[in-house]
Amino acid sequence: MSGFPPTRAPVQPPVSPPPTITHVPQGAQSWLLGRREDARLVTGAGRYVGDLKVAGCLDAAFVRSRVAHGRLLAVDTGAAAEIDGVVGVWSAADMGDELPVVPSSTPGSADEERQRPALAVDRVRYVGEPVAVIVGIDRYVAEDGADAVRVDIDPLPVLVDPGQAAASSTWLFDGVDNVADEMEFGEPIDHEVWQRAAVVVEGAYRQPRLAPTPMEPRAILAVPELDGRVTVWVSHQAPHRLQKDLATALQLDVERIRVRVPDSGGAFGSKSGTFPEYLSVVRLALRLGRPVRWIEDRAETLSGATHGRGQNQRVRIAADEDGRMLALALEVDADVGGYPIAGFVAAETGLAAAGPYLTPKVHARVRTVVTNTTPTAPYRGAGRPEQVYAVERTVDLLARRLGMDPAELRRRNFIPPEAFPYEAPTGRRYDSGQYALALDKALELVDYGYWREEQRRRRRSDTVRALGIGLCSFAERSGLEQAPMAHEWASLDVTPDGRVVARVGTCSTGQSHETVFPELVAHTLGIPAQCVSLIEGDTDEVVQGIGTFGSRSMQAGGSALHQAALELIEVAKRRAVRMGCAEPDVGYADGTVSAGERSWTLGDLATASPEPLRVEGVYDNAAAFPFGTYVAVVEVDPELGNVRVLRLVAIDDCGVAVDPEIVEDQTIGAIVQGIGQALYEEMPYDNQGTPQADGLLGYLLPTIGELPPLTLDTTVTPNPNTALGAKGAGEAGCIGTPPAIVNAVIDALGQSVAGTDIGGVQLPLTPETCWRAAAGQEVGAR
Amino acid sequence: MKPAPFDYAAPAELTDAVTALAERPETARVLAGGQSLVLDMHYRRERPALLVDINNVRGLDVITVDGHTLRIGALARHRAFETPTVAPAALGRLLSRVSPYIAHPPVRARGTMAGSLAWANPVSEWCATAVALDAGIELTGPLGKRRVLAGDFFLGPFRTARQPAEILTSVRLPLLPGQVGVGFCEQRRTHASFAQVAAVAVLTLRDGVIAEARLGLAGAADRPVRAHDAERHLLGREAEPEVFAQAGELAAAGSDPLAEPHAGVEYRRHVVGVLVRRALAQAREDSNGYYGDEGRDRHEGREAR
Repeated sequence: MSGFPPTRAPVQPPVSPPPTITHVPQGAQSWLLGRREDARLVTGAGRYVGDLKVAGCLDAAFVRSRVAHGRLLAVDTGAAAEIDGVVGVWSAADMGDELPVVPSSTPGSADEERQRPALAVDRVRYVGEPVAVIVGIDRYVAEDGADAVRVDIDPLPVLVDPGQAAASSTWLFDGVDNVADEMEFGEPIDHEVWQRAAVVVEGAYRQPRLAPTPMEPRAILAVPELDGRVTVWVSHQAPHRLQKDLATALQLDVERIRVRVPDSGGAFGSKSGTFPEYLSVVRLALRLGRPVRWIEDRAETLSGATHGRGQNQRVRIAADEDGRMLALALEVDADVGGYPIAGFVAAETGLAAAGPYLTPKVHARVRTVVTNTTPTAPYRGAGRPEQVYAVERTVDLLARRLGMDPAELRRRNFIPPEAFPYEAPTGRRYDSGQYALALDKALELVDYGYWREEQRRRRRSDTVRALGIGLCSFAERSGLEQAPMAHEWASLDVTPDGRVVARVGTCSTGQSHETVFPELVAHTLGIPAQCVSLIEGDTDEVVQGIGTFGSRSMQAGGSALHQAALELIEVAKRRAVRMGCAEPDVGYADGTVSAGERSWTLGDLATASPEPLRVEGVYDNAAAFPFGTYVAVVEVDPELGNVRVLRLVAIDDCGVAVDPEIVEDQTIGAIVQGIGQALYEEMPYDNQGTPQADGLLGYLLPTIGELPPLTLDTTVTPNPNTALGAKGAGEAGCIGTPPAIVNAVIDALGQSVAGTDIGGVQLPLTPETCWRAAAGQEVGAR
Repeated sequence: MKPAPFDYAAPAELTDAVTALAERPETARVLAGGQSLVLDMHYRRERPALLVDINNVRGLDVITVDGHTLRIGALARHRAFETPTVAPAALGRLLSRVSPYIAHPPVRARGTMAGSLAWANPVSEWCATAVALDAGIELTGPLGKRRVLAGDFFLGPFRTARQPAEILTSVRLPLLPGQVGVGFCEQRRTHASFAQVAAVAVLTLRDGVIAEARLGLAGAADRPVRAHDAERHLLGREAEPEVFAQAGELAAAGSDPLAEPHAGVEYRRHVVGVLVRRALAQAREDSNGYYGDEGRDRHEGREAR
């Protein structure tokens, strides 16, 4: 679909506010705001779970294990229960038969034999694991209660590294070893291929654990209703899945549970799960017959929620003397933490191993391994940043080994546009791509020739800081390949006044759905955007849905709404025919059906019959493959090891961007997180499994002060599988940025042309890491 | 992140504050800007039974020139030092160069210099500045006021000579008259991070020869320290790059930094040397009136962040 205006005309806040608006300050009413949700979100008038006022609401707080691994001998809740204002204290033993267990994601999967209870039973497996829950009249009292609980734990040997855990005879779960899953993608590569190849390079990399750090950590409020149902207000990406899981875990009818998502302070993948704390909160609200909420705070979220990334990787690439890649092998030990809840993240790394390259032989072996650390789960990118980092660093290694320009090496190996649809040796099927186009545009925008010349100039003189240029080319999956995740539900209702109410199964956690989906529907129907409103994130209003993750909202949800709108036009025409229009040619334009002299607006047609004018359906959406090339130019102060990003050029292709401004802003946000991964972020653990950061002074995030000059641009290769043509957007920035920056730093430091990079620089590139690398010292030995 | 229960007093008179503190000295804490204390209370690392809030005490926010010193009241916020006019000549330049490195604007709007000194974080910029300048620290207790020099005040990480019943009521910094150049360099991870290492340099030059040198270091030991060996080496020598480099090496050799997860002892010691050298070069430029001249040392100053 084309013809969208390049920039959106400003939209007035709707006259009738969507249900989540409480009040927008007077001054903001008159703003010409580009996005409907921005007025309330930027003026503090947004309504988050923590803002919901419910009479008689109780607050929950959790006692968490401070020991990484041990036998749970006793939980003494006596003193806590005595505190004035504490309503109740429960350990797993106190819950008894009512202790819920997190439902397994798929029958027969690794999490089925390694079950995760709402509160630790007999054993604790990571620092931060919930051991007891306190419900009090407010959060202060609940924390006083948590303080008073005494926990007796007999320590067991601690495993913090997945490689070490896989080999260890200490098992986290009785009767099953620590390797939760072993997966292979593609055929193993013959010895001969490596032996015969002109060049073989090999790198070993560590993906640190990252904390997703949305502004609002997890939040839930369970309200028992008079009719026996329970309303669960929650900051979540997939309300329907949570509804189903809550029903399973608590043995309730699904219909008894209404999940509602108010404004959300971000998710980045970390709010798609069914968390043990949520099970406790809903269970206790039902048991007490009172509203109970749990608003996670920053101190507990850093080790109590989930982490992203966390992989040990080994990559080998064989190439001929011209740099044509012959074989690529990827080995991953993925650290899934104390409970294997999301092994599919690491599977994506393996399935995607080929990247954008036409390598004839690709093999990936992925092990997911439990360790005594916080469980890992999707975090923006979810498996793709890991894959892209491993391959792109190794491609640069190959370029140095061959003495070849890294841009030329990539260009030589890209899957060409005419090869699509292309099935990689791992079995992944790519829909479309013009990889060289994005690369060329990136080189042109950054002025690659200038910076290479500047680099040579600086190398001749030793008085200025070293300069490096780094590239990253990638193809990433958006949406999902397997049913039912590849589907999305949508409906459109025309009201008698001619307005259109759109419902869709995605769920915004800050992706501007309230603006862009009505725009899309309005554009398709040819009516003003103000005439369309959106309802999502409410399981009563939206009968089914998959949710928002994997960059799928526009690709799947938007495409569903688009198809629904096209169907609505046909339904409207048929209704006009039924109303006695005898004309053979019934036309539709701008919200009006016309035939000869007669015409009907959508509102006319809606009022003309008691039967509602509506369409609804589940629409199929295959996975799509956005791609791009990022280029970073960095300067390194070799004395202190400080890295300064001078330029970052990002060329993204997400097919048709329905709202380029929203896509661009999400790209920038993801780039900032990518900068974080490259230079700042890591949740380190000591040998005892104790996380070494419990706040944002220890876990460093880039802020506006760390933002380098960014140049963003796009190429447009429409999704061939939908009429809308949109591929996913939102995650590319944190996929393309880290390898570009790291490759640039290595380029600046003038690393050797040896074919191996084992024990080389590892993420994040702290000043100390870069200082050691600049001084030629061993860094990051594993 | 909710504090344990505590009592709260916010008297309007200093004597009442001192009395309140003296009644429960071991379990009471003084609240000024609260940017460190309140955070630690939220984490329950600090559990005072009584919080004596001095924000209602009049006159404590005053910054005045008093003889040869700048007298800074206990409630003067970090933000007050962002402009060089806060003090005459070189002292104003130094304070305005240091203050932007303290946390970020919201913290600088609430936090106080006196509070930073009382808190005594070994990587605090103000603590390093105070020892470099031999600040006089005024403590008011039940028996009246006493003055302690910064060099005797800091005893270790978060430990000072302040008695539990005393309030740090003011700080005196010497004005820096004459041909004095000042420099400040800091190594930190992000703009909002604490320093890993910071160096304050104050040089008095006569005909290109160093007549007096003061070097204050943050993150070089378990408390803020002066680099005495380096200072002695500088005396009587020409203000030249190789002399500064030698001073840096002496300062690095004399430092004994604490380890942290992302910066080992060896690295931090190395950084001490680099920052001392760079801060001295800045001080010389400042003295010559060159500093601030577009394009001269701007780069150096920025990179040291």
